[in-house]
Amino acid sequence: MQEGRVLPAREINRDLLRSIMTTPNWYWVTVALMAIIVIGAMSAAGLMINRGMGLTGLNRPVMWGFFIVNFVFWIGISHAGVMLSAILRLSKAEWRRPATRAAEVLTVFSLMTAVTMPLIHTGRPWRLVYWVYTLPFVPYDFARGIWPNVRSPLVWDPSAIFTYLTSSILFVMIALIPDMAVLRDRTTGIRHQAYSLMAMGWQGTTRQWKLQIIAGILLSALILPVFVSVHSIVSWDFGMAVSVKSWHSTIFAPYFVVGAVHSGVSAVVFVMILLRWIYGWENYIRHEHIDALGRLLIVVATGWFYFFVMEVIFGFYGREADEIAVRNFQFTQAPWNLWFIFFTGLTYFLPVTLWLFKWTRRNLWIMSVACISVNIGMWLERFLIIVPGLAQKQMFTFDWYTYAPSAVEITIIGGTFALVTLLMLLFSKVLPLIPLYDIKEGDILKTEIKIGRVTVPAVFRED
Amino acid sequence: MSANSHAESHYGPEMWVFPDKSQVTREVSERTSAMPTAVTAGLAVTGLLFILGVVGFIMRATGDGFGEHGPWGYYAAIFAFVFMVTGSAPLVAAIFRVTKSHWRRPLTRVSELFAIVGIFNIILFIPLMFVLPDFRNPEMMPLAANQLDLRRTIWFEVPIAAAAPHWLNMLGIIGMTLCALLLLWLSAVPDMAQARLQATGFRRSLYGMLAGHWHGSKSQWLNQKAGLALLGAFYFMLLVFMQFTISSDYAQSLIPGWKDSIFPVIYTLTGFQSCLGLTLVILFVLRRWGGYQGYIGISLFWSASKILLGLSLLWIYHMFSFGITFWYGRMEVEQNILKYLLFQSYGWLFLANIIFSFFLPFLTLLWNPVRRSDWGPALAGVWVLIGAFLFCWRIFVGAFNAGDVYNIGLEHVPAYVGPDVWDILIVLGGLGGAAFIYLLGSRLIPFMCAWEIKEGAMYQYMGTFMRGRYLVLAKPE
Repeated sequence: MQEGRVLPAREINRDLLRSIMTTPNWYWVTVALMAIIVIGAMSAAGLMINRGMGLTGLNRPVMWGFFIVNFVFWIGISHAGVMLSAILRLSKAEWRRPATRAAEVLTVFSLMTAVTMPLIHTGRPWRLVYWVYTLPFVPYDFARGIWPNVRSPLVWDPSAIFTYLTSSILFVMIALIPDMAVLRDRTTGIRHQAYSLMAMGWQGTTRQWKLQIIAGILLSALILPVFVSVHSIVSWDFGMAVSVKSWHSTIFAPYFVVGAVHSGVSAVVFVMILLRWIYGWENYIRHEHIDALGRLLIVVATGWFYFFVMEVIFGFYGREADEIAVRNFQFTQAPWNLWFIFFTGLTYFLPVTLWLFKWTRRNLWIMSVACISVNIGMWLERFLIIVPGLAQKQMFTFDWYTYAPSAVEITIIGGTFALVTLLMLLFSKVLPLIPLYDIKEGDILKTEIKIGRVTVPAVFRED
Repeated sequence: MSANSHAESHYGPEMWVFPDKSQVTREVSERTSAMPTAVTAGLAVTGLLFILGVVGFIMRATGDGFGEHGPWGYYAAIFAFVFMVTGSAPLVAAIFRVTKSHWRRPLTRVSELFAIVGIFNIILFIPLMFVLPDFRNPEMMPLAANQLDLRRTIWFEVPIAAAAPHWLNMLGIIGMTLCALLLLWLSAVPDMAQARLQATGFRRSLYGMLAGHWHGSKSQWLNQKAGLALLGAFYFMLLVFMQFTISSDYAQSLIPGWKDSIFPVIYTLTGFQSCLGLTLVILFVLRRWGGYQGYIGISLFWSASKILLGLSLLWIYHMFSFGITFWYGRMEVEQNILKYLLFQSYGWLFLANIIFSFFLPFLTLLWNPVRRSDWGPALAGVWVLIGAFLFCWRIFVGAFNAGDVYNIGLEHVPAYVGPDVWDILIVLGGLGGAAFIYLLGSRLIPFMCAWEIKEGAMYQYMGTFMRGRYLVLAKPE
């Protein structure tokens, strides 16, 4: 038997547009709470910019701390969109349908949040102007003859991230067009005008559908290299640095990409469970979808673990004293060793154990715990890559230092989580977080095959 | 053989095939027991090549002995190639079975049959146990600045090092072969049970013995499917581990200063890419000349080719990650390794490797009409196989001739070492031996997995949707 029932289009519209057409009591309270946290974080950032970087825990040689960890974390989360939307669309996985929009939107918002981190980290974000504008502002390089090193991964980073952000927004917008048209037909006044504008004259003609599908497939294929390049380049921010032992590793690029997919997909699963709960979308986000995502996550997590093991083994393989010292610091000295145990347990052993069984994959509480666990673990992973390497960067032990984040840093980091939540909530108020047309298409293609005494779910496929 | 009408479908009649369940067993067993001239000729040619390889091996062993590892570079390269391709092949079946891809059905047995070649891999590995240099530097001079007391290996200094890597690698290869054979047997049991009813003489008793007490009860089917999934997962882990140890012990650890965490991944990926390529080549031959048109539809090539394209892209991505990290680091030892393996000594091989492993398959599989044919993916399969061979040649011959393994780093760029006549014979013999054993195995165990084909026939048909005819695909849990 098929899980769930085939729903009439009218019911799908009503259910999935509920978050836009009606406003539950908790909504504005949550929005206000998140906004307060974001404002608090912005104030902390403002204070830090005003007083200087001395307010953070950063000091030589650990000049990269929570901000950069958080930057890598949010870039990682942004990998959910392409994984779920583009790759699963190309592989025609039917169970992708309810997850795609949330994943794509999370991609955009997490990328937007990620780019704020290096800006805050610079301590003087207005200096971005020097890079962006040319005359009459007289950029830094022209005025002083100091040019950014275009061969530095730190310069590749913004190029890759903004390309990814642009293509992700395009990806979301293309997929939204049919749903905008549905909203256009159900709203009045200024909202009607706004949706009409964004629906771009969509009438649902055969030609429009054909073009929309082709655009979706083409974008899916074209976004893949961008998707891979973004986190690869982020990894090369570290991997190209020969001076920091434990960073100069050839495996960093795929290791970071797989890790990003791991944390991103886990985040999307948690968001889906939340959406199911708060909007009552039990007919759309079903146990079978979470189950399938859980199975996908076993593969992704195991792939990630393989890369992690390779990275660690080859860290020791060279038997170079300075690298062994860093690894020793990571693995044997408190509190780093405890963090390390937490990190591996939370990222791999706990969640994968939970995902191994069908009944646990279909228990939404357990899945939520597993997915949150992955993201705590992945955040720790970035912390454990960045800080210990820098702390023991110098040759002489009297140059070694450790790092403790300040309240300002913690506030700003907390603010980024609130910001993403706030943006997701605001989005859900104006646009559907589950694609209406995708769900309808999935329902149309569903059928069944009777084999002996058993009825087996089936789908119509073109290939 | 019967097939539904495809007249109104978007695709040609060869896209999907629906074998007649009642005819599958009879046809498959008839083809397996038959001995066509092409197979006889194939066995003769590959057997001859194997004998030539044995001659080459004897000449190499008597001429150079096992004391120095340098002269065994080409032997290591052909072992690495055969092991990489044939060791990965059973995984093709296991992975697509786990992902429940229906198009895999004609492909599973073709790839699982490579388990038999595992026996050849064990034999091929034995001489390599004796040529690997000691862990401990026998000529360590006190206070020698550029020498290591213990050479760099993945086994470090742990007590098992006495048995590593020679014996542990051998144990791993034996374990892998046993697991692959178990996988093949478990997958073939239902077919054996059917075949024992129809075969006569030696085949009847062999199939009867292998089929055991199989009667096709529900619990037997459930156990068989669970066993296949578990063994597949176990084989996957074993394979990845063994590819890590072989690529590290017989390549990376022999080049002084080569510390490259991505290399085992590249070796594993090349294995996945080339085994899928080889499977597609065999399926193309079977479809064109083996009389299996009714079993192997174009949809298989169409689906598998996308994965081959993905693997080729992954291959170049991993190679790029390796290259750019070393190149950017500007460290002398890494620059020398790049010059040695990529740009100077083995530069032309690297160029050919990259062309065959990436550019040619990419340019071939980029086009929908090519992917939607049987020859296109098979051609890409040939490219990646050549690419994989060049990869092993470049890396393993390079590693075996990189100079003093106890040096801290590669201080200069060693020269390219070309093959002599015995090396050529060894390479031909390695390829011939693997093919000979595979062909021999195919005479006993059919190329097509009859029960999976029959199951597939139940799960798919052409149905009408709106105004067109489309494939209806069951997705059982």
